[in-house]
Amino acid sequence: MATEDRTIDGFGQVSRTVGTVFRYLLLAATLIGIVALVILLLFVANDAIQPLTADPGWHLTFFATLVVPTLAVGGYLASRNQSAAAVGVGTIGLAVVTTMFAGGLSLIFVDIVDSITWAAAVLTLAVPTAAVVAIARVSNRSPLELLAVAVILYYVSLFGVPGPLRSVVGTGQLLPGVGSVVASIPVLPVDWMLLFATFTLPVAVVVRYYARQLVDDRTATAIVAVGLVAVAIAATAAPTAGITPVPATVLASVVLLPTMTYVTTTALSRPHDRVGLALPGAVFGGSLLGAVAVRTLGYAGPQAWVDWQFLTSAHSRNAIDAGLYPAIGGSILLMLTVAVLSFPLGVGAAIYLEEYAPDNKLTRLIDVNISNLAGVPSVVYGLLGLGVFVRYFGQPSGTVLVGGATLALLILPIVIISSREAIRSVPNELRQASYGMGATRWQTVKNVILPRSFSGVLTGTILALGRAIGETAPLIMIGAPDVLFSLPADLSSKVSAMPLQVFAWSSLYATPEFYQRAVPAGVVVLVSVLLSMNSVAIVLRNKFE
Amino acid sequence: MGTDDISAELTRNTKNAPPELLTRVFFFICAALSVVTTASIVVLLVSEAAKFFSVTAPLVGFAGETVSMVDFLTGTTWQVGSGEYGVLALVSATILITVGAGVISIPLGVATAIYLSEYASTRARSILKPALEVLAGIPTVVYGFFALIYITPAIQTLLPDTGTFNLAAASTVVGIMIIPMVASISEDAMSAVPDELKQAGYGMGATKFDVSTGIVVPAALSGIFSSFILALSRAIGETMAVTVAAGSQANFLPPWDPTSYLEGALPMTAAMIQLLLSDITGGGLAYRSLFAIGLTLFVLTLTMNIISDVITQRYREEY
Repeated sequence: MATEDRTIDGFGQVSRTVGTVFRYLLLAATLIGIVALVILLLFVANDAIQPLTADPGWHLTFFATLVVPTLAVGGYLASRNQSAAAVGVGTIGLAVVTTMFAGGLSLIFVDIVDSITWAAAVLTLAVPTAAVVAIARVSNRSPLELLAVAVILYYVSLFGVPGPLRSVVGTGQLLPGVGSVVASIPVLPVDWMLLFATFTLPVAVVVRYYARQLVDDRTATAIVAVGLVAVAIAATAAPTAGITPVPATVLASVVLLPTMTYVTTTALSRPHDRVGLALPGAVFGGSLLGAVAVRTLGYAGPQAWVDWQFLTSAHSRNAIDAGLYPAIGGSILLMLTVAVLSFPLGVGAAIYLEEYAPDNKLTRLIDVNISNLAGVPSVVYGLLGLGVFVRYFGQPSGTVLVGGATLALLILPIVIISSREAIRSVPNELRQASYGMGATRWQTVKNVILPRSFSGVLTGTILALGRAIGETAPLIMIGAPDVLFSLPADLSSKVSAMPLQVFAWSSLYATPEFYQRAVPAGVVVLVSVLLSMNSVAIVLRNKFE
Repeated sequence: MGTDDISAELTRNTKNAPPELLTRVFFFICAALSVVTTASIVVLLVSEAAKFFSVTAPLVGFAGETVSMVDFLTGTTWQVGSGEYGVLALVSATILITVGAGVISIPLGVATAIYLSEYASTRARSILKPALEVLAGIPTVVYGFFALIYITPAIQTLLPDTGTFNLAAASTVVGIMIIPMVASISEDAMSAVPDELKQAGYGMGATKFDVSTGIVVPAALSGIFSSFILALSRAIGETMAVTVAAGSQANFLPPWDPTSYLEGALPMTAAMIQLLLSDITGGGLAYRSLFAIGLTLFVLTLTMNIISDVITQRYREEY
C-alpha cells in the first residue's frame, strides 16, 4: 500500500499554470511587434492630422452623423448576417481603393499623357490587334504566316508606309501611321470624349466580364451600359462642381463604374446580402451629412498637414508649403515601369522553372541563384544600377527608366518565388487532363496553368510592387534627385519618389518644422498607399485560396 | 482530305512548332536573366573593388589612387576626407545593430512562430499573419523616422546620456522589421513536423506546453536556426532605417560594450548612402570605396544565406 502511494504521488499531475502562463506569454510576444507598430502609426497620424485642433463641435457632429450610425449598422450586420457585412465592407473597400487608384491615373492623364496621345497610342495598338485576331478567326493560317502578318500590321500601324524604311525604298511617306492619323484629325472631339472612347470603354469591357460571372449576359450589359451613361453625365456635369472633365472621366470610370456594377450585381445575385449595402450607405451618407452639417454650423475641422495643398504642390523650403506632388507622380511612373518589366519576366521565369525546366545542373543553378538573389541587400542592387545602367550603358542618372529597371531587378526574385508557388498549387490532374486532350505545352500553360494561378501570381506581384515603391536606397544609389519640382515628363527624365522625398525631408531638411509637419504627412500618405496595396493583395489571396 | 492528311494533321510533332519554340525560348531567357543578374553583380563588385586595393589594382591594369587591403580590413578610422578607409569602424556599427536586432527579433519571432503553429485558432491566424506581413511591408525609411522621432526621445527619458542618433533606437526598429521573417520561416519549419510525433507526445500524456517545447521546437530546430541567419543577414543589409536613425559620424565602437548602443555610428549600408549623397566624383577613390563596401556586404550576406541553406539541407530531421 505504501509503495503504491509513493508511485502514484506526483504521477499524472499536470500543472495547468505553466501551460497557461506559456500560452499567454507567446500571445504577448506575438502582439508586441504589431502593437508597437500600431502605436507608432497612431503617433505619426496624430502629428500629421492633428485631430485635437478641431472644434469639439466638429467631433461631436461627425460622431453623431458618422460614427454612431456606422457602429450601429456594422454591429447589427456583424451579429446577424456575416456575409452581408462582408458585402458592405467590400463595397467600402472597393470605393476607397478605386478612388486612390483613380487619383493616380488622373495625375497621369492631367499632367503626363494628354488624351490625344493616349487615344493615338491605344488605337495604334488596338487596330492591328483586332485585325490579327480577325484573320486568325476567319482563316486557318499557320502560326508563322500569322506572325508575319502581325509584324507587318503593327509596323504599318506604328510608322505607316514605308515609315523609317523611306530611305531604303526611296519614296516619300505613302500612308501615315494610325497615331499620326489621329493626331492630324482637324476637328477633334472634346478631350474627355477621346478618353471616354479609349479608356472608359476598355474598363467597361473588363467590368462586364466580371459582372457576367454573377448575372446573366443581358443584365450585365444593361448594368454596364447604365454605368457608361453615368460616366458621361459625370464628365459633362463636372465643370459645374469645379472639376475639369478629364479627371472627372477618369474618376467616374475607375470608381463609379466598378462600384455601381458590384453593388447592382450583388443586389441581384445575392438577395439575402442586400442589407449589407446599408453599411456603405451609413459611412458615405454619414460623411456627407457631417460635412454639410459642420459647414452650416461653422465648426472648424482639424488643421491637418495632409491636405489638398500637400498632395498637389511641390517641395518648398518652407515646411508649411512643402508638398508631395512630384514624388507621388514619380512613384506612380516608377511603379508602372517596374510592373511592366518585372511581371512578364518574373512570371516567364516561374513558368519555365515549374513547367519546362528539365532536372539538370543548369536548372538547379538557376534555382539556387534565385533564392540567393532574394537575399541580396537593396543597396547592392543600387550599386548594380549605378555601375551597369548608368556607368556602363551610359544612361543619364536618376531617370524613370534606370530607377524602374533597378527596382524591377530587385523585386524579380520575389515575383518569381511567389509565382512559382501559385503555379505549383495548380492541381496536377488539370495538367494531365490537358495533355491527355492533345494540348501542347504552351496551350496547357496558356489555357490551364495561367488562368488557374493568375490570382496567386497577381497577389505576389502586388506585394512585390509594394516593396518596390517603398524602397529608397537603390534610388539614391542611381542618383535620383532629392528634390524635384515637376513631374517627370517621360521615361528618360529625372524622377523622385515618395520614400525618397520623406528621406530628404528627414535628413537634408532636418528642422523641427519638417519633423512635425511635412515628414509625418509624407509618412501617412506613403503608409496608406502601401496598406491599401497590401489589403488588396490579402483580399485577392483569401478570395481565391 | 485523305486519311494520310488527317493522320498527319493529328500526329505532327509540335515540340518544335513555332509557337512552342518561341514561348519556350522566351521563358528560358526570363529564367536565365537571374543568372545574368548575379553574374553582373559579382563582376561589377569584384572589378571595381579590385581597382580600390593596392594589391589587386595592378592585376586589372589600374594605375590610380589605391588603398592597402590590410589597412582597409584592420583600420578603425573611416574618414573619406582625409583618405582613411578603415572598414572596421563601419563593421562594428553593423555588428552592434545586427546583434541588437537579433536580441529583439529572435525571441519574439520564435514565440510568434510557436503561437501561430501550435496555439492559435484558424481565425486568430487569419488575422495575425497578415498583420505580421504588414510589419515587414512598412518602408524602411518610415521605420528610420519612427526611431529618430519617437523611440530615441523615449530612450532619452530613461537614459539621458543617449545621443540624438544612437544604435539602440536603430536596432529596435530593425528588430521589429525582421520579426516576421524569423516568425514565418520558423513557423514553416514547425508546421512541417509530422503530426504523428505530436500525437505520440499527447498519447504519452504530455501537455501542449511539453509537446511545443519538447517535440515541436527540437524537431524544427534546423529550420529555426536558418530563419535566424536569414533574418540577421537581412538586418546587415538593412539601409534606410539605419541611415536615418544611427547617425552619420563613422566611429569605432567596441561591440562587446553595451554602452556603445547609446552612441551614434555609421553602419556599412549608411556609409554607402552617405558617400553617394556627398557628391563623389565619378571614378575617384571614394567612388571605388563604395564598391569595396558593397563587396564586403555582398560576401557577408551571401555567406550567411549559403550557411542557412546548408543548415536546412544537412541538419533537417527526415521523417
